[in-house]
Amino acid sequence: MDNTLLTSYLLIVPLFGALFLIFFPKKSDTAVKYFGLLISLVTFLVSLNLYLEFDQTSSEFQLVDKFMWIENLNISYFVGVDGISMLLVLLTTFLTPLTLFSTWGSIKHKVKEFTFFMLILEVGMLGVFVSLDLFLFYIFWEAMLIPMYFIIGIWGGKRRIYASVKFFIYTMAGSLLMLVAIIWLAVYASEPLGVFTTNLLELYKVGPTVPQTIQNYMFLAFALSFAIKVPLFPLHTWLPDAHVEAPTAGSVILAGVLLKMGTYGLLRFCLPLFPQASINFAPLFSILAVVGIIYGALVAMVQTDMKKLVAYSSVSHLGFVVLGIFALTTESMQGAVIQMVNHGLSTGALFLLVGFIYERTHTREIADYGGIAKIVPVYSAALLIASLSSIGLPGLNGFVGEFLILLGSFKSQVLNSWVYTIFAASGVIFAAVYMLWMYQRVVFGEVKHDRLHSLKDMTASEIAIIIPIFIFIVWIGVYPSTFLGLTESASEAIVKQVLSFSTNVIK
Amino acid sequence: MSIEYFLNSLYLIKPEIAVTIFLVLIVLLDLFFSKKNHLLPFFAFLGLLITGYFVIEQFDIKGLAFVTNDSRAMVTVDSFAAFFKTIVVITSLYFVLLTVNSKEMDETHDRRGEYYTLMMGMVLGMFFMISGSDLILLYLSVELVSLSSYVMAGFAKTSERSSEASLKYLIYGALSSGLMLFGISLVYGLTASTNLYELNALIVVSQANSFVLMFALLLIFAGIGYKISAVPFHFWTPDVYEGAPTPVTAYLSVASKAAGFALLIRFIKVSFVFDKDTLGFWSSNPVFNWQDFLIVISVATMTLGNFAALWQKNVKRMLAYSSIAHAGYLLTGLAVLSDTGLIAILVYFAIYLMMNIGAFLIVILIKNKTGSEELDNYDGLGFSMPFLGVSFTIFLISLTGLPPTAGFIGKLYLFMALVDAKMIVLAVIALLNSVVSLYYYIRILKHMFLAKPKENSPKEELSLQQILIVLSLVIPVIFFGLYFSPIVELAKNSILMLGF
Amino acid sequence: MIPIEYYLILSAFMFIMGVIGVLTRKNAIIVFMSIELMLNSANLTFVTFSSYLGNVTGQLFVFFVMTVAAAEAAVGLAIIIALFRNKQTVSIDEINILKW
Repeated sequence: MDNTLLTSYLLIVPLFGALFLIFFPKKSDTAVKYFGLLISLVTFLVSLNLYLEFDQTSSEFQLVDKFMWIENLNISYFVGVDGISMLLVLLTTFLTPLTLFSTWGSIKHKVKEFTFFMLILEVGMLGVFVSLDLFLFYIFWEAMLIPMYFIIGIWGGKRRIYASVKFFIYTMAGSLLMLVAIIWLAVYASEPLGVFTTNLLELYKVGPTVPQTIQNYMFLAFALSFAIKVPLFPLHTWLPDAHVEAPTAGSVILAGVLLKMGTYGLLRFCLPLFPQASINFAPLFSILAVVGIIYGALVAMVQTDMKKLVAYSSVSHLGFVVLGIFALTTESMQGAVIQMVNHGLSTGALFLLVGFIYERTHTREIADYGGIAKIVPVYSAALLIASLSSIGLPGLNGFVGEFLILLGSFKSQVLNSWVYTIFAASGVIFAAVYMLWMYQRVVFGEVKHDRLHSLKDMTASEIAIIIPIFIFIVWIGVYPSTFLGLTESASEAIVKQVLSFSTNVIK
Repeated sequence: MSIEYFLNSLYLIKPEIAVTIFLVLIVLLDLFFSKKNHLLPFFAFLGLLITGYFVIEQFDIKGLAFVTNDSRAMVTVDSFAAFFKTIVVITSLYFVLLTVNSKEMDETHDRRGEYYTLMMGMVLGMFFMISGSDLILLYLSVELVSLSSYVMAGFAKTSERSSEASLKYLIYGALSSGLMLFGISLVYGLTASTNLYELNALIVVSQANSFVLMFALLLIFAGIGYKISAVPFHFWTPDVYEGAPTPVTAYLSVASKAAGFALLIRFIKVSFVFDKDTLGFWSSNPVFNWQDFLIVISVATMTLGNFAALWQKNVKRMLAYSSIAHAGYLLTGLAVLSDTGLIAILVYFAIYLMMNIGAFLIVILIKNKTGSEELDNYDGLGFSMPFLGVSFTIFLISLTGLPPTAGFIGKLYLFMALVDAKMIVLAVIALLNSVVSLYYYIRILKHMFLAKPKENSPKEELSLQQILIVLSLVIPVIFFGLYFSPIVELAKNSILMLGF
Repeated sequence: MIPIEYYLILSAFMFIMGVIGVLTRKNAIIVFMSIELMLNSANLTFVTFSSYLGNVTGQLFVFFVMTVAAAEAAVGLAIIIALFRNKQTVSIDEINILKW
């Protein structure tokens, strides 16, 4: 295997950008802003180049770089992408410059530190998506916590300290369990393989041979860590706090990318490493996912705070993703991946839009708005598109993902019941209710508050941020093949890996 | 005993001789050139460097010094001892640097001579604790370390806190060394020997009264447990750590703990382990179930340390409890009773040295400016003192055990040793403890970065020397977090203990 | 000849008295004396076993312990005096700035 370094550039560019940023003088906020944006755009270009080099027909990991790192433990720096991680890498590099750009107006103090943490966060997120070594993966996974802690804690809202500590503790508790499971698995694998290794591809071969009971423990340790990150009901309680208190950019990145790492972890690690256990626990996780879909939707319905409403809608949407993953069919798996991207785009857009109006009025209470359609028509139109995309209107992106997931779960042999599908589908209806109701209360009706009259419509730069997102929202909705083609072979491979060990489980 | 043999023995204790010579020289210099005693720190530093050179020389040497009759030796020289002696020397070097840079110690500068004499005394005692292989020598060295450190803890004698810490330290110390001595006397009565190597065989033979033997071993453990502040012998730790001058606290938390651990490990391995299998697991004599005992102690130690730390408002006291918790993690490594566990302990100690000294160093430098160690006075310091704030963050993250810092590697190796021995439950307990520890470590970060700064908070003014000292600890903490092969290699080569 | 058990029982008794004294007495000086009692009980055990086993190591140990005890007493009294200068008391109960 040749090391093309293409994947590594993804990590090197923002990392060195961040380190270089330290040497900027204190008062150079404008230079810092441009520099941060530049770096994130270069990263995006690197990922586009990666996409062009990527061979969509293969389910193998491609463009891999591998260097021996710690010889004692046979740990290597091992990165590469397959279709699923490629898509998520693109999502990350796409959203980061947008969020950085969106903070130009709202983050006014400690700009340098903020940009630094955002770039480090980007390194962590990309690292998680491209790591093919469990040790490397774990380092990126944990290293991300610290910048996120500071982003919420320093630039967040009133209860930011509580929210950031809660976020940190929750995620850390889960991930340490995963660490034990990683070590356990690697120690276990050292017998058949003859060496201690954390190489994911090697472990893919060993994982399924682990006896069922031990596999169950390992699976649960991994899954708990990911489920906290997703967040799966009932482990979701950190999410609304973190979302509400985080600055807009933090919320966008949190919803857009960080949550995806949980679901990505489930399908990259949990399923292929522990196939028997996955099938064993699939009904349990599907039930939790469905409960999450309905619970998230119902709670979102009664929220009075726009940001909280969007936060709970995330719980609901990610329930779909988890259902799609554990339905274990190619369709649902692809749907889950597309839905991850969808959620990143539409929830990201919603958070951005809520952030834009919050900067003007400094309130997120739905009751403080009303009748803004005539005052800010462009904003209202943008909010409509984002809401409809979140609901899953046919022709927009949300529909594709949800449809595939529902279809897949209906056909699923593992779940073997249409009950899941029925209940999950009701979530779509609830989504329409809470989103449209929120939209109606904010945009239509009479102007109740006088100060709304002086509201300014979206500025050119705000439109420039939101337009690229909308392009993809429509693109995925109208012509999803571009994206489905990317994920198809990788999804198939995962489902095949899992089901090949399950002949005795499925009757 | 021939004269060549005697010379050979002297050759083997070169580091100890060097320490003794410098101890005497410091006393003399202080006596005759008392006006120039500001040079003493340099002199002590030099002495430690020379000692360090002799210690490093010993890394591949194996030998018994002062053999009396039939293979009974007072002192054992092996890589294991060299490793821990290196830890002691490095800590002592930092101790000198910490003292020089601490404003707190300025008022005692007329007593510098005593201070460095005591330090050298402690180093000597710790060296013998690390390489002694006879209970007489071990008892004496423990007492030498203790007596010197009682005085050190109370060195700021006009401060009420300092002298109170000193008295508490003395009472607990004297009590536990009394217990240890009585334990030794019982072991002597049962086996007619005080040599660790002889005990190994004799303990099995003399199963006359295993209850008395167990009782005696518990008493001996009390003495060692006190040195490493293991629960339930930890009561002195928070009080002494808070009250003693901060450099002394840092020193006690690393060096004397290292010596205590070396003693405990050697005691268990030499006197109770008779064989090890190909995977490196030790088989110990059935007279005392060290494994279960250590598991109980380690779980109690880390849990108590972490939970008690949650409520602390004084940073030094919090770090005291955190050091108790770290002793707990280290004991889990010993409880495995295997070579991998021992490697994990050595790796952890090397890293613990850097991060703990680093944390105390920052506490000193901050106190120089603000005059306080209370958590509330750390508000906003992350921005008014960015360099110290960021360095402290790195040390605290490392103490928590998060990547990409060295602390993570320490935890990783401990967990690996535990999982290797199928002690998953213990690993999970240790891990839940780290989550608890995260809470109080980030409380400090919270105060430094997230809280509103106080009015007129002092500016960060550090001398180049101070910046270099901080960097000399920060850089390894990051570097070894990303590339830890050197430490692990060193640890692997250092587990060789004379015996088998 | 007096049986060995008598010596051992006496020394155990002294030891227990010492421990109880350290744990319950309030005056630092008396606490200190109790510690000396503990050390001396260990000395008695050493000497007893030494003579019983016909092995000199125990006797040797006793000399060292006596030296240590003397050093400990010197250091201890010095610390008590330093504290007394600060607080005008040697009662353990009143030494209580440091606590959780």
